[in-house]
This record gives sequence, C-alpha cells and structure tokens, in this order.
Amino acid sequence: MAARRTPLSLYVHWPFCSFLCRFCAFSKARVPAGGVDHERVTAALLRELGTELAPHAGKGLRSIYFGGGTPSLAEPRHIAQIIEAAAALVPLVDGAEITLESNPTSAEVAKMRAFKQAGVTRYSIGVQTLDDRALRRAGRLHTGAEGLAAVDRAKALFPGRVSLDMMFGFAGQTPAQWQAELATALDHADQHVSVYQLTVEPGTPLFRDTRAQRIVLPDDDVQAQMYETAVEACAARGLRHYEVSSYAAPGAESVHNTGYWRGRQWVGIGPSAHSRFVDPASGQWTRSVRIPDIRRWMHSCEAAGHGTARSEAVTAADASREAVVLGLRMLDGLSVRRFAAVSGGRALADYLHMDAVQRHVGDGRLRWDSAAGDARLAPTERGLAVVDSVLLDILP
Amino acid sequence: MAHCLQVPGRRICSRVWRGWRGAPCASRYRYSTRAPDGTRGEIDISTYPPERIRNFSIIAHIDHGKSTLADRLLELTGVISKTGKNKQVLDKLKVERERGITVKAQSASMFYEHMGQKYLMNLIDTPGHVDFSYEVSRSLAACQGTILLVDAAQGIQAQTVANFYLAFGEGLEVIPMLNKVDLQTAEPARAAKQIESAFEIDAGGLLHMSAKTGLGVDQVLPAVIEKIPPPGGSSGRPFKALLFDTWYDRYQGVVCLMAVKDGAIRKGTRIVSNHSKTKYEVAEVGIMYPEPTPTTSLQAGQVGYIVCNMKSIAEAHVGDTFYRDKEPVEALPGFVPAKSMVFAGVFPIDADEFDRLDESIQKLTLNDSSVSVHKETSAALGQGWRLGFLGTLHMDVFRQRLEEEYDANVLITAPTVPYQIKYRDGSTHFIRTPADFPSAISMQDAVVATMEPFVSATVIFPEQYMGQMFELCTTHRGEIQNHTFIDESRVMLKCRLPTAEVVTDFFDKLKSKSQGFASFDYEEAGYGESDLVKMEVLLNGESVDALAAVMHRSSVVTTGRDMARRLKEVIRRQLFDIIIQTAANGKIVARETVKQLRKNVTAKCYGGDISRKMKLLNKQKEGKKRMKKFGKVELPQEAFLSVMTSKSE
Repeated sequence: MAARRTPLSLYVHWPFCSFLCRFCAFSKARVPAGGVDHERVTAALLRELGTELAPHAGKGLRSIYFGGGTPSLAEPRHIAQIIEAAAALVPLVDGAEITLESNPTSAEVAKMRAFKQAGVTRYSIGVQTLDDRALRRAGRLHTGAEGLAAVDRAKALFPGRVSLDMMFGFAGQTPAQWQAELATALDHADQHVSVYQLTVEPGTPLFRDTRAQRIVLPDDDVQAQMYETAVEACAARGLRHYEVSSYAAPGAESVHNTGYWRGRQWVGIGPSAHSRFVDPASGQWTRSVRIPDIRRWMHSCEAAGHGTARSEAVTAADASREAVVLGLRMLDGLSVRRFAAVSGGRALADYLHMDAVQRHVGDGRLRWDSAAGDARLAPTERGLAVVDSVLLDILP
Repeated sequence: MAHCLQVPGRRICSRVWRGWRGAPCASRYRYSTRAPDGTRGEIDISTYPPERIRNFSIIAHIDHGKSTLADRLLELTGVISKTGKNKQVLDKLKVERERGITVKAQSASMFYEHMGQKYLMNLIDTPGHVDFSYEVSRSLAACQGTILLVDAAQGIQAQTVANFYLAFGEGLEVIPMLNKVDLQTAEPARAAKQIESAFEIDAGGLLHMSAKTGLGVDQVLPAVIEKIPPPGGSSGRPFKALLFDTWYDRYQGVVCLMAVKDGAIRKGTRIVSNHSKTKYEVAEVGIMYPEPTPTTSLQAGQVGYIVCNMKSIAEAHVGDTFYRDKEPVEALPGFVPAKSMVFAGVFPIDADEFDRLDESIQKLTLNDSSVSVHKETSAALGQGWRLGFLGTLHMDVFRQRLEEEYDANVLITAPTVPYQIKYRDGSTHFIRTPADFPSAISMQDAVVATMEPFVSATVIFPEQYMGQMFELCTTHRGEIQNHTFIDESRVMLKCRLPTAEVVTDFFDKLKSKSQGFASFDYEEAGYGESDLVKMEVLLNGESVDALAAVMHRSSVVTTGRDMARRLKEVIRRQLFDIIIQTAANGKIVARETVKQLRKNVTAKCYGGDISRKMKLLNKQKEGKKRMKKFGKVELPQEAFLSVMTSKSE
C-alpha cells in the first residue's frame, strides 16, 4: 500500500499474578487455587481484540505491549495467538516492537525462549531491588540474584532489547545502599532501564501501612537524592534520561511507551485497560476503559464481545492539556507543531501562561529548543524533577 | 434532631416548657398552639398584691439539679402534670458539653397556698454562662431572692461562686440549699462548710433535699415565701417595668418578659422604651404558665410577658425600662447595650460564597442583636466581616449555627479582644483588628498608653492541683489576688487575668492540667494599661496582614517562635525557599525556612495512569486557586487556622 498507515499500538492486560506486591494499584488477582483457566481468559481477550481492533484495520500496528498483572504467567502459545490475531486485523509495521513484562521467578524464566518464538521482541523484567528483605516485605517471591540472572538470560535471547525495572525509596533504604545496588543492576543492564520511585497509591496495602505508620518511607529530600543518583548513574553508563523514569541507549527507547507520551493512538484490551484513538467512523478522538473486575470483564466479553465500561470523546481542551502534561515528561519535550495538531490549531504560546513559562525558562527549569525547524518546549534535567509543580504554574 | 442553645434575650427556639436545659427544638421559631385572635379566656391576677408575690431564681452549677428542682416545683403546684415525663433529657450542644455550661430555658409562674394565703410565685431563669453575665444580672434584677442550689456530693464550683456574687451584688436574698443528699457520695456537712467559707454566710439550718426523689422539695416554696422579701412598688404609681428577656414568636412577633415595678399594664396600654423612645401599643399581657397564658393585666410586683408591635428582636434591649406614654419615669439602673468582648474576622473559604454568607449572617444576627457586624477587607483573605461577640462561647455558638444551620464554609481568624489606645490629644480608640494598631511612628509620637481588658476569675480545684493552677494563672499573665481553702481539700483561687489570655485556650488547659476537676468562671474587670505590640508575619520579606496579631510584649518571643514554627508546618514546599519571619517593633523575633522542593514528579504515567494523572492535576489546580498568594508565596487556608489556634505550651 502506498499511503503511510497511521501508527497504532495495542496494550494487552493479563491480570493474574503469582504474588501480589504491596505497592501495586493495578487491576490484578492472585492466581486462583485451581490455576488460571488459560483457555477462557485467552478466549475473552481474543473476542475483545476482535471487537476493538477490527475498526482500525486501515492503521499499522507499531507496538504491542503485554502488561499486567504478570503476563509472563500466560502460556506462550496464547501470547502467540493474540499476536497473530492482532496482526491479522491490523498489519504489523516493519520492526514492530512487541514487549512482554516478566517477573524473574524461575518458572517464568524457563518460558522466555518460548515467548520469543511466540513473537515477543522485547523483554521487560521487574527486578525492582536487589535487597532480598525489601523484596520480601514488598510481597515479591524472588531474590535480587534471581532478578539479575533473569536479566542475563534475557540479554542472550533478546540482545539490545531488554529493559530492567528498578525501584527506589523502600522503607529503610539509604542513598548509599541505593547507589550501590543500582550500580550492580546497571552492570547487568542491557540498553533500557526504568527507575521508579516507590509511590504510595491509595487503596494499596502500602498505603494502609504508611498511613498507620507501620512503614515509614524515606523523606522527600532523600527520595530526591535517590532520583538524582539514578540520573547520574545512568548517564555515566551512556543511558540517556529520556522520560521521568526511563533511560535508554540511543535508539533503544520504548516505542510503545513513547507513544503514550506523544499522544499517539492505542487500543487496550483486558480488564481495566484504557484506549485512546481516533474513531475511524466519526474521526473523533475517543478514550475508553474496560471493566476492572476480572470476572465481570470476562462475562462481558463472552456475552457482548467486549468488556468496555465507558467510552467518551476527548475534547480539544482535554487533548491540549494531556499533550502538555505528557510531552513535558520527556527531556525532548513537546513539539509546538504537534501541539497545534492535537489542540485544534491552537498555538502553544496562546494556551500556556507564558509569563510563568518565561519565569521557569529564566530559572532554568524549561527551555525552548528550536533545532531542526521544529520548535519545542522542553524541561531541563533540573526542571523535570519538579515538572508537576511547573505544570501547575503554566497550565491554564 | 436540631438542638438549640438558648441565648438569653435572643433565643430563637421553642418556648414551650421543656425544662431548664437545652431541650430539643423542632423548629427555630416557636409556633403558638393557638391562633393569635385574642379570644381565649384570660386569668385575672389583679387580686395578687406585691405582698403575695415572690419573684425568685435558682442558681446552680451545671448538673447540680436546677432543672430537676424546677420540674418538681412546677409539678407540686400543678403547673405541669406529674407524669414522670418531666425528666430532663440533657441533650446539649457540643459547645455546652465542652465548656461545661448550663443554658437557659425559661421562666414560669405558679400559684401556691401557704398558711392559708394564696401566693403567685414567679420562677425566673438565669442563663448559666459568664458570656451572658449582663443578662444574668438583668434576670436577677427581676427577682428579690434566689435559691443557691449546691450538689451535696460535688460541693461548690466556680460558677456557683460567680453567680452568688452576681446575686449578692444585686442585693438579693440568697437561700442556700443542698441537693442530691440521697447520693451515697453526698457529704452535706462538707458542702455546708464550703458554703460558709466561700460566701461568708450562715449555712446553719440548710435545707437538705433530693430534687430527684422529691425529698424535702415541699419545704422549698415555704422557705422562699418566708425568707425572700416581696417585691416593692405600688400599683398606684405610674407604670414602670424592666425588660429582662425577649424572644421571637412566629405568630405574635417579639415577645418581651418584663418585671413590673410600679403601676399596671393591660391590652391597649401605650408604652415607651426609655432607651429608644419608641412607642408601642400592648396587644397582649400574660404569665408563663408554663406556656404564655393571657391575663387581664400585669401590675406592680408581677412578672409576665408582653406582646406589642415590636418588629424585630433588635428593638428589645435587655435591661431597658418601659413606661406609659406621656408618663415618663426615672429609668431603672444598670442598662448597658450589648458590648462585644471578643472580635474575630469571618471570611468565606470560597470568595464566590460571599453573598450567600452575607445573607446567612444577616439572618442570624436578626435574632441575636448582641453580635456586632462590620464589613472588613483583608489583602490576604478578601472581603469578609469583623464580628463582635459577648464571649468565646457566644462566638462558638454563632459559628456552629452558621455552619450547621446555614451550611456555611467559613474561615474565622484568631479571636482578639478590644484593645484601647489612648492618644496624647485625649482621644481613645478601640482596636478591633490588628490592622487598626498604630504604626511604630504613631506609637512613639502620639500614643500615651495601650490598654487591654481584664477579667476577674474564680477557679475552684482540689488541693493537689494548686501548683499547676497557680502556674497556669501566672503563665497567662494573671495576677493572683487570693486563695482560700473552702474546705479541707478544695481551694478557691481569685485572680485577675487579661481577657486576651482567657479567649484562647485557657479553659482547655485548665481542664487538662486539673484532669477535669477545676471549674472556672470570670467576670469583666475593666481595662488596665498594658505594654502591647503588634506581631507581624513576613513571608520572603512581605508582611501578611491577616496573620498579624496584637499581644503583650512578654508574649512576643514565645508566640513569635511558635507562629513561625506552625507556619513552617503548613506551608507547602515550593520551587524556591520561603523565609518565614515574625517581627515586632521592627525586630525579627523568629525565622524559619521552608526549603525549596527538590523533586515533584509522578513516577509512572502510562495508559490508565494518564486519566488519573489528569484528574489529580485538575484537583491540584483547584487547590492552587484557593491558595492565597503573597508575591510568589502560596499560603493555604490552614496557615490562617494554624495561627488562630492555641498558643504553644
């Protein structure tokens, strides 16, 4: 086909976990006593996939991301079925990125090769920390050593396409400890690392523990220091800080995740999955969300062919706001041209509080980058660390 | 169920007899049980000359049995039936429980036969809280005597003492009586001794009773008749009456309770307010029996209600004298218009609610003319009001009603007392708000003296708390006048305290330091010279008017440090350091720094996180709108609240 296809991403939410992390706020469930009914869950995902993806046949699938939950608990043949079904509905573009998230338990590591054969091209491993006590306290059933071993194995199978997840800010963790364990993790890392601050989300066991002061996390300044440590350590290894929590060697950035931050189109399937795309029928930007409860989502897929709970139009005002909020999470920032496209032709300078923007530019938190003829508003490294405060100032 | 605290002279709730405490009220207004057509039968009480009338009150500390005794007397005289339903349910407002006050219900008339003679007995209620001491004194002025009711188990309390001295000051005959003598824990001999030492009166032949069981209650009215003198006055002289209580009735309008000193009044009489010189025509007179019951007339010595064509409660001034049109008389002594003891700034949390709040305040003050209202504009808080109250209880009641009955969301600044500034040119100015305080230059060149109001306080507590109580008084700049052992183990302490110290957290500290055993009461004690300064708060060098406070020089260091520390706790970190300074007389007292924010960024933001992030952002954006900005510094509402709440230990 001569015309360039509009890129589309697919997110597949696989909701089961072999253990539940105390900090996790995603929709998930522990694997039931009799085991997961893999056939039934896959069938539901495939039905929903058919319903949701079919209208986008004219687009090109740029990435698929298996998240969860713990998608590495799924059967590789089912992952293969889903990839094949998706590609049959919307053609995969050349070099499409297909990521699978995994925990470093032995059972999952054993399936790594089978996942590759199923079509997975990129492997993301939740190592989180090398401190076994912190892992145990967080509810995770693996050790730090197992985490590193899983990374090593994945590198052999997916060279240059392995991502390693680390977290900082566990109770009792000191900046020195963090620096040391991050250094070790980076020794094993491939070309992509995600480093998250442990965040207390409402509704999680961690939330209850901290509120009751059973757990005291490091204070804000210590966490800030840990964040800065990550920025420096990754830079020293040639991993560029391209988004708040993401570091990559040039060209190894996550295509799928970058799509979120650039405001691209994606379709999500599985319980609680979100979608955001241009409806081919109406030409209208639309966002929707699937039923979060696994059983109810499954029933709905079986009965109606999809588990969509709510769908609504994305207004130009919403799109403008999101473009700025997400764009400024990236060191490359937000393209003025791109902004005009999503905001219905509005100039970025007319939209933002420009006095506040200029103040932050003056204070070294934001910068205007006009290289390559495409003007961009971007955070500086210093500004990125406080970008939520900056956003509150500059957004209307 | 809505309950109301009845503020004397400005009550707004049911007047149907429900007892002597804050009884539940179904509505904010009383609905008469009958149409106001005036066709009912009227009682003729003209056959009761002053010699066969007794006007008396009962004064007691909270829970010492005033309401129960009143019920028993009304049952005994057949005013209310003896159904056993007259047990007072002590439903009280939170503020009452916290502050240990009694509230006023109402007055009632009874007919009683003694030694072959029929007497008209008027039981006149007095409010139980010091904020309303002026109203208490006017109620007492309508009586010739009072029963001082003391719980035989608890003994006398500070409020008993304060009320005793008020009654004593009015020249009333005081009959002490011991209640609750049936209790296991009763110690009548000890209570009698306390009465003797605290009041220096003879407690021999003290009446022992139990209002609950009825023991000894039959001896109460004979004692009242024999010991309390009849009212003076003569029906032959021109009409003269004291207004001592008032309320609003939805059908009849303003109803006034009056004690007729001389002459007589009946329907159609034209009367004049001595205070306003406004003329009114009497539409109805009667007695509280216990509901308003019309009589043919009210004459010298009698106490009853009068309905005339008063439009609003603001026209009825407690303490005012009324006389017959064209027959002016000398006014009764002691009339003082309502005087604000405590001021506070009131601001809507959301500026858009100003109009609605304005309306709510107007409605509330319509029934409580003792609240003074001035519009005020603060650079920090925008448009609002400066309200004056009779005391902190009065302020709390007002705020509570504003919030509960009018669903208002308000910010109330720290209570301040009316300071006085005396100038060289002989003029005196009141300081309602710290913004009125003279500048440093003016202080130097034009001010002769700064004055603050004082109270005379009574504290009664068990001996073991003596150290803490003395310390509490002195740390609050109190001057201890004397202390007396009122029995082997209880101490009565008298001290003079600046009102400003009392309006903050004195009472709370008193209760906590004495484990609840101390009781406290006070009365105004005039103005005294005081070394006052204005404490300013600077944020990054800029003064914030709404955080300023006037205080005694000796408090400057402690309060200044405390305010800076509290502000540091509530001011959120921003992208730059925030220097908080407190200053007095151009000198910095304390300095704190809110360090700049090093990191504020959401860690994860993928598919589903985006909607959450946008929602959170919108909420934060709303929160930011509600912040008050000083230069670049954003101040949350809590900053103002944190400064108004109690001082540090």
